[in-house]
Amino acid sequence: MADVAAAPRAPFVALSALWLVLTGTLCNLRCTHCLNASGPDEPWLPPLDAAVARRALGEAEALGVREVYFTGGEPFLHREILPLLEASLSMAATTVLTNGTVMTEALADALARLAHGSRYSLEIRVSLDAAAAEANDRVRGRGTWERATRTLRWLDARGLLPIVTATEIVEGAATYDRFRALLSALGIAKPRVKILPVFPVGRAVGAPGVRLTDADLDGFDRSTLPCAETRVVAADGVYACPILAGLPGARLSDGALAAALGPAALYHAACVTCHRTGATCRNA
Amino acid sequence: MPERVSEHRRLAVLGGVYANAEALAAVLADARRRDAEAVFCLGDLGGFGAHPDRVFPLLRQHGVRVVRGNYDEAVATAAADCNCGYTDPRDNHYARISYAYTVAHTSAANRAWLATLPGHLRIALGPHRVLMCHGSPRRINEFLWESTTPDGLLRRLLAAHAADVLLCTHTGLKWRRALNGGAAHAVNVGAVGRPENDGTPDVWYALLTAEPELEVEFVSVAYDHEAAARAVEAEGLPPEFAETLRTGWWTTCLENLPARERARGRF
Repeated sequence: MADVAAAPRAPFVALSALWLVLTGTLCNLRCTHCLNASGPDEPWLPPLDAAVARRALGEAEALGVREVYFTGGEPFLHREILPLLEASLSMAATTVLTNGTVMTEALADALARLAHGSRYSLEIRVSLDAAAAEANDRVRGRGTWERATRTLRWLDARGLLPIVTATEIVEGAATYDRFRALLSALGIAKPRVKILPVFPVGRAVGAPGVRLTDADLDGFDRSTLPCAETRVVAADGVYACPILAGLPGARLSDGALAAALGPAALYHAACVTCHRTGATCRNA
Repeated sequence: MPERVSEHRRLAVLGGVYANAEALAAVLADARRRDAEAVFCLGDLGGFGAHPDRVFPLLRQHGVRVVRGNYDEAVATAAADCNCGYTDPRDNHYARISYAYTVAHTSAANRAWLATLPGHLRIALGPHRVLMCHGSPRRINEFLWESTTPDGLLRRLLAAHAADVLLCTHTGLKWRRALNGGAAHAVNVGAVGRPENDGTPDVWYALLTAEPELEVEFVSVAYDHEAAARAVEAEGLPPEFAETLRTGWWTTCLENLPARERARGRF
């Protein structure tokens, strides 16, 4: 592990985004570059207890949180996702990051009811890795493109306007255009696409790479980093970054959100990517 | 020393002029007809429209007090980009065109004036302590959309800035919310330079009256949008900008809309 103590810090500015790692690393898929090495085996990061999730939502509301994100793993595998979504949507706009392969029409109906009954937006981010089925399924598993695109159509038909999130495995603006074209071809009138860079973490981790230093950040406004306004609640503690959740060096507290509002160590190779690309984990 | 605040009973507040002098002139005339004692603008004088420099004399002639928007901040120093806060490539594509045009067509004198604008204004409206800002009190380009701005956040912002009423713009879509049993309020005044993404070309501003309870009235104003659209075309700006002025539907810079707001528009 890189030297956490010596790493530069990002200040804590405000709790704008609360992330709940709802299913830990439990997922029905085993994507080749998964950011937190999720999969169907015994998860290395356990699912979040619903009571812990509710407590975090309450704490976050009191702290003036702006929006909430549910992630995993695959969050729709959590037994209590619908009541937790209802609780979250009663206080803030909420986004679910899903692989789109465990959706049913009944679940899509339930999501639509929640969305239309809330004053705040419900966003569903569906992950794909390529606009074409074969290339996507090489990364995400056989049949995943078919199931995820079916989910996109179901959500769109219910007015939920899903966002496709894709990783820019091959760099270039063409990735964005290809996904917009895919969504249009699926009959989706308002194509929404979010492209993320590849982060060297999880199954995509490479050889020990470079780390940020204070010299790298000279003249850079660290308060613009997502971790200055993000806190992530997982089963084993609170973190500043959703893709570093579960990593001991990134842990800020063992439980309480209020105890995790200090500076965050920019110790990981993924911090270099965030700094270099200006990427945001938020929807926009 | 405490900040000196002006005191009012009835105000007109507008935002997002976006270089649409035709719309601004119509809104200012409307506000005068409705007996607004004072007019405030929450910033973003440039962007989208054809004639950035025609906005400034109108503001001065009507004594409009202006809060600095992210666009004004950027244009003042000819910064590298508008700092609108977009993350989507398509939004940024149109934002770059619009911003380069605005900088090139804003005089040095007007750019110097933009540099003098305050980041926020405080006034008293009857018994209400009003804080005016562009995006949010904590960040000039924060998008306070109706569907992504929780009550808890608004209460925290009001408390942190010792205000009862928060007025903002930046999103281009108006909304209002009463908090704390009506003791506090948040109002996004929308934009006068771009229609409401509702299929009509009219634009909106807000009238606030202390009765002494706060009354908020959103006012729609029809104006010569065809002239504004033709001017956009004559300047060679993207035809999508003119289309929005004519149809009332947003065609660009909408990828950052939350689901709820995006669902209401055509595109």
